[in-house]
Amino acid sequence: MTPQLSWYLALSAVLFTIGVAGVVIKRNVIAMFMCIELMLNAVNLTFVAFASFFQDVTGQLFVFIVMTVAAAEAAVGLGIIIAIFRNRESLDVDDASILKL
Amino acid sequence: MLALLFILFAGMAIGCAIAVVAQRNPLYSAISLIGVFLSLACLYVMLAAPFIAAVQVIVYAGAIMVLVVFVIMLLNVDQEERRRPHLAFLVPAAIVLAAVLIGEVAFILSSVQLYPHTPTTNISDIGLTASIGAGLFTTYLLPFEITSILLLMAIVGAMTLARQTMIPSASTRIVPGAQLLALNIIDPKVPLDDTTTVLTHTTAEAERVLGIVHDHESAPRE
Repeated sequence: MTPQLSWYLALSAVLFTIGVAGVVIKRNVIAMFMCIELMLNAVNLTFVAFASFFQDVTGQLFVFIVMTVAAAEAAVGLGIIIAIFRNRESLDVDDASILKL
Repeated sequence: MLALLFILFAGMAIGCAIAVVAQRNPLYSAISLIGVFLSLACLYVMLAAPFIAAVQVIVYAGAIMVLVVFVIMLLNVDQEERRRPHLAFLVPAAIVLAAVLIGEVAFILSSVQLYPHTPTTNISDIGLTASIGAGLFTTYLLPFEITSILLLMAIVGAMTLARQTMIPSASTRIVPGAQLLALNIIDPKVPLDDTTTVLTHTTAEAERVLGIVHDHESAPRE
């Protein structure tokens, strides 16, 4: 019995849901950031699964671009986290509820 | 055989993902997230996408997670403290809503067989590096180039955000329109008249325009 397409889609949905729950539950900025990475990876799994089952390379190209966006997001997001920590001395999102730095 | 491998790696991925959310120490969350990435890389190999699997390991588990772990170490994050009472009622609500979402997706995926299973036993070249490169540089050349601009913007943005701005001390003279300049740049031992060669144009002109009194005597000296 080989894995079906729906298996991969279900796994991707579960991973995405765990990521969403993490963003809702967690309060540490870095932990929320990692949950966002988890959601991006779930979407990547969907792309690769569709690309493999439809025999089309376009999905894997989109995965490539999503990875680039994730790298850019990591750089800018961690810069923002460092700036917040420098101003607030905390990583709790509730402490950064004012837009003014 | 493939089903067993799928169940193994999917179980690893889900378990590590739950560990990412459940851990209180962000460093443990990061290591669990690396486990998720590696499991997904194994699944990509099973899906006949070896290039994406390699990039997953190199870029995600290598570069991005090293960056995250570096920031965690740099900021000396301690463990997340126990939850304060406000908004605590949202936690069971979040768990219930997540369960409902999983149930909905499982129902849809189990009831609707939207695409019949096509066996991928025939060896295809869709996952190879050559076909990905050909697609990137022919059909999707414009998104590829835009991606490079995005990376450039990210580099500049990260440098701007994380740059250490100078804390102005008592002996710092702040000239608007210029960077923060220390006093020993503006106030050397030379008299005020022959500043033409020593001082930069921006500082001297800003001082002259703004009419800042250049008091050598009252300035504190180290």
